[in-house]
Amino acid sequence: MSVSPANHTVTQDALAVLDSRYKVETPEGIDLQLRPAGVVPRAMAFIIDLLIRGGVMLVAGIVLALLGDFGQGLLLILFFLLNWWYMVLFEVFNQGRSPGKQALGLRVVHDDGTPVGWGASLIRNLLRFVDMLPVGYALGILSSLLHPGFKRLGDLAAGTLVVYRDEPPTRPQIPEVSPLRAPFALSQDEQRAILGFAERQAGLSSGRRAEIAGILAPALEVHADLAEAELNGIARGLLGQA
Amino acid sequence: MRLTDASVAIRPRTAWEALDLGTLMARRQCGVLMASWALITLPLLAVLTAVLWKYPLWALLIFWWLKPAYERLPLFILSRALFREMPTLRESLKAFPRLLRPQLFASLTWRRFSPSRSFDLPVLQLEGLSGSVRSQRLTVLGQRDSGAAAWLTFSGLVLEACLYFGLIALCYMLLPQQLMDDLGWQKLLQESGGEWLWLDHLRNWSYALVLMVWEPIYVACGFSLYLNRRTALEAWDIELAFRRLRQRLTGSAYALVLGLVLVFAMPAEHALAANSCPPPAGDFNPYTDREPDDKARLTNQALTSSQAKQAIKDLLAAAPFQNNQMVTRWRFGEEKPEEEPEEDDPDKVAEFFEKLFKLGEGFGAIEMISLIFKVVLWALLISLLALLIWRYREWLRAFASRLGLPQRAKREAPAMLFGLEITPESIPDDVAGTAERLWLENPREALGLLYRALLSRLLHEHRLPLKSAHTEGEVLRLVDRLQQSGLSQFSALLTGHWQNLAYGHRLPDATVRDQLCNGWRQQFSGQEPT
Repeated sequence: MSVSPANHTVTQDALAVLDSRYKVETPEGIDLQLRPAGVVPRAMAFIIDLLIRGGVMLVAGIVLALLGDFGQGLLLILFFLLNWWYMVLFEVFNQGRSPGKQALGLRVVHDDGTPVGWGASLIRNLLRFVDMLPVGYALGILSSLLHPGFKRLGDLAAGTLVVYRDEPPTRPQIPEVSPLRAPFALSQDEQRAILGFAERQAGLSSGRRAEIAGILAPALEVHADLAEAELNGIARGLLGQA
Repeated sequence: MRLTDASVAIRPRTAWEALDLGTLMARRQCGVLMASWALITLPLLAVLTAVLWKYPLWALLIFWWLKPAYERLPLFILSRALFREMPTLRESLKAFPRLLRPQLFASLTWRRFSPSRSFDLPVLQLEGLSGSVRSQRLTVLGQRDSGAAAWLTFSGLVLEACLYFGLIALCYMLLPQQLMDDLGWQKLLQESGGEWLWLDHLRNWSYALVLMVWEPIYVACGFSLYLNRRTALEAWDIELAFRRLRQRLTGSAYALVLGLVLVFAMPAEHALAANSCPPPAGDFNPYTDREPDDKARLTNQALTSSQAKQAIKDLLAAAPFQNNQMVTRWRFGEEKPEEEPEEDDPDKVAEFFEKLFKLGEGFGAIEMISLIFKVVLWALLISLLALLIWRYREWLRAFASRLGLPQRAKREAPAMLFGLEITPESIPDDVAGTAERLWLENPREALGLLYRALLSRLLHEHRLPLKSAHTEGEVLRLVDRLQQSGLSQFSALLTGHWQNLAYGHRLPDATVRDQLCNGWRQQFSGQEPT
């Protein structure tokens, strides 16, 4: 699988359009779109995980303090598990999501988009201790600010990527009008734009809607005031029967 | 400003993704952004350091408080770079005083602690709004994503702290051990007098360095949140697609001037000029207008020669045609010099060989040691394996046999079929003769003998895989598979008569005797001693 960050060549080519997507081409020639997550959401996810672990340690510390030295030993073992295995176990068994990542809608995958496995997860989490250098993840922060795929050093070594999860799409609402056939052939992007126009009407002001629809009025050969209704009809026609 | 010229992909994103796009935007322009930031802030900090030498904390506080003022410059650079009008460092610095003027006091006082500072700044600076209009606009824009702006500010706080302490820790790590022993943190903390002021100022400067990295990114993230919000509110991406569609359909040039113009901070007449002068209609081609057309042919077509050439070049330079790989590995650097003797001076050569010999001796000793270690380690490994095998010998005996490849079970030839004994030993040598003799007294036994013998031969000579589960009919079918028509016919005949006799108690005719015995001789004459 050849992996090509879509925005990797950006610095060389000033004309390239900057995008936060990351394209992975499968051997079948299909482009998978991954959306790598940057420093801010990842830092938030880490803070949540840190708080959870801290809370667990606090509660366990209070309970185990009753057991004396034995409890202290158990506490040390618990600390070891939380420190070294918390992320790994969650990532491997919970589709690349620790609780913090789950809350932020993130997940860890391999560079080619496949689910993260034991090896990669272990490497990326063991190398946290390099990312932490000199103190407070400074190296990791700098690394992910500089990398086009927002990778910290552990991600670079393990070949992993933190991406946004794709939520299952919901069926969008489109105005109830009688479907129409477009008077001209439409490419996929153009169809998508017309559907987008119909779907996002609720978020647009009426003046803006008329203005955008007016762009296509000459092409549709209707009066500018009727263009909006015409476009809604075409969108309904493109969508087909519900 | 044309939306088509935008240097980022315009489409509605989630708020977090917009922040990531902001990081990428800042990364692309990082040179100018960081240099201009440094040129503004570092002289100011120098002045503050000089004036407030006795009060380093105050210097830091004032420097930190003025952050919103410096943030206007990165936003100016980013907003121009968005439409590919990248200002140079000199232009940016020249523009800075003009940028500072509007609403500076408000930014530095009651809006200083607004958590959505980065998100609000474009409204103030690029749209030039103030007062109630501004707050109305902010209410509209802030319906969504202002939460993300607040989280951006919060995580900015955390990241700044991490980078700041990281930098300090790095400096601390780089101090030589001897110096550390002399210093001692205790002493350092106790002596808060004038002697250590420079250290506090050094810390202030390291904070300024951290800001140089983070602040442009912070501003860019806020700007991209703002852009994303407007993309969603005003459907920029749809407008872009519709304009392209209209251009394709009607063929008219698209004067893609933003409807609601981003009132960017630039001279008004410049903006008007850009608005009122759409490119000449008709033959406007976004590609040829941009490229220098040297030796361009086929210019009246949709695809010109230069474009085609470029496309071909790009394609040939890309993945399936060129696979460049960089392989890096470690090797010893000291090996080389010893192997290159200078042969012009005999003394030197002799000296060199002497050295080489000595080195060889040294090497020999080292090799000897390493060899010993090697032997010891291998012996350890082997004895460990042996110990393991011995320790688990019971387990191995019990389970290891199952670990092997599945063996084909050896087929035992059955000794009895249909209750008849068919081992070769139980069959007389002269089957046909014996049967003929027996026929007169006991035809059942004679026919049984013939059938038994047939089965025995099939089993041991023709190697038919007969099992005790087979029926007579199945045996016949197996015989058919041998494709010997004589044998098949004979077997069928014999089986028929045997079944009649054995199950139906119907005696065969006397003629059958000769037929079967002759048939037997015919079939097995080669093997049969008559």
